[in-house]
Amino acid sequence: MERPLDQLIYLASTRDYNTGIYRHDGLSIRFSPAVACEALADCHRIVFQELLGFPVKELVLQLEGYMHAAGIGASEFLKSWSQLEPYRVAVPVDTQPLAAEFLYCNLKTALAILETRLTPIPPPPIAWPRRSPAQESPRLRDT
Amino acid sequence: MLYLLVGALLVASLILAARRGSGPEGGAEALVRARQALTQLQANLLSPEVIERFSSSDDYEFVASAAPAAANTFFRRERKKIMLAWIGQIRQQVHSLLHFHLGAARFYTRSNFWSEVSLAMDFVRLLLACRVLQVLVYFGGPLVAPRLVTATATAGLRICEITENALAFLTAPDPPIERSIAS
Repeated sequence: MERPLDQLIYLASTRDYNTGIYRHDGLSIRFSPAVACEALADCHRIVFQELLGFPVKELVLQLEGYMHAAGIGASEFLKSWSQLEPYRVAVPVDTQPLAAEFLYCNLKTALAILETRLTPIPPPPIAWPRRSPAQESPRLRDT
Repeated sequence: MLYLLVGALLVASLILAARRGSGPEGGAEALVRARQALTQLQANLLSPEVIERFSSSDDYEFVASAAPAAANTFFRRERKKIMLAWIGQIRQQVHSLLHFHLGAARFYTRSNFWSEVSLAMDFVRLLLACRVLQVLVYFGGPLVAPRLVTATATAGLRICEITENALAFLTAPDPPIERSIAS
């Protein structure tokens, strides 16, 4: 998992919605639940800060990469991310509200750009060659 | 005439003494307020990465060229809104810290006259920069004064550091944290 966006979504998913505590069975067994929670929370904050510094251009690539890695169809992904805005629940708990708003704005714009890129452009209407009067009128054609 | 002058001097010294004496009584409250203002200002000072993005024209150029018109409008409007909110928050917290320094800081810090004057100038500069920036961003958008944005963030950091030092005696030293994370 190399992309910071993938990491952000993953780390947010390890956090309990009700308690805000990060859980990871492997790390908890190896160290302790408290240490695992602290380590995951630290990683979450670092990844969030990293994403804050990304230009919109890079965020478009991050979204595209995440979409391909998740194996979801483009239309389905764009629809759910535009409507549900899952990134809003993926920020660390002590995030400055303005910093969070900054990332939401960038991600929303990046999504719109990705949608524009992935939406197939309809082909232009074909211009048929104009018929001659003889072709258009059967009487003229017959005479 | 001489008696009047001496009397006036006595009254003036009494008023001064009364003002100086009233500081520490209300000091605890002032300190708590100052600590809250400092914490909020530190929290509201966005990271250097965000400040850099605010001041950079790359995003605006890219979005203008690649995004549909509605997304471009949304992006510009949101960036402007965030920036105005950021400046407003800094102004508010700097005002709180200024009141603390004017009222109570001199009782707790060993600062001389010139350092107080220098600090006062920092406050004035920062408040003025915030006001100018607010007007410029409101009318011209977030890209209108990138240097002023950076200067405001830097001045905010400096004032935070000075106030942190003034309030340092309130902060207990952190206990050493033993981490058992092995690689």
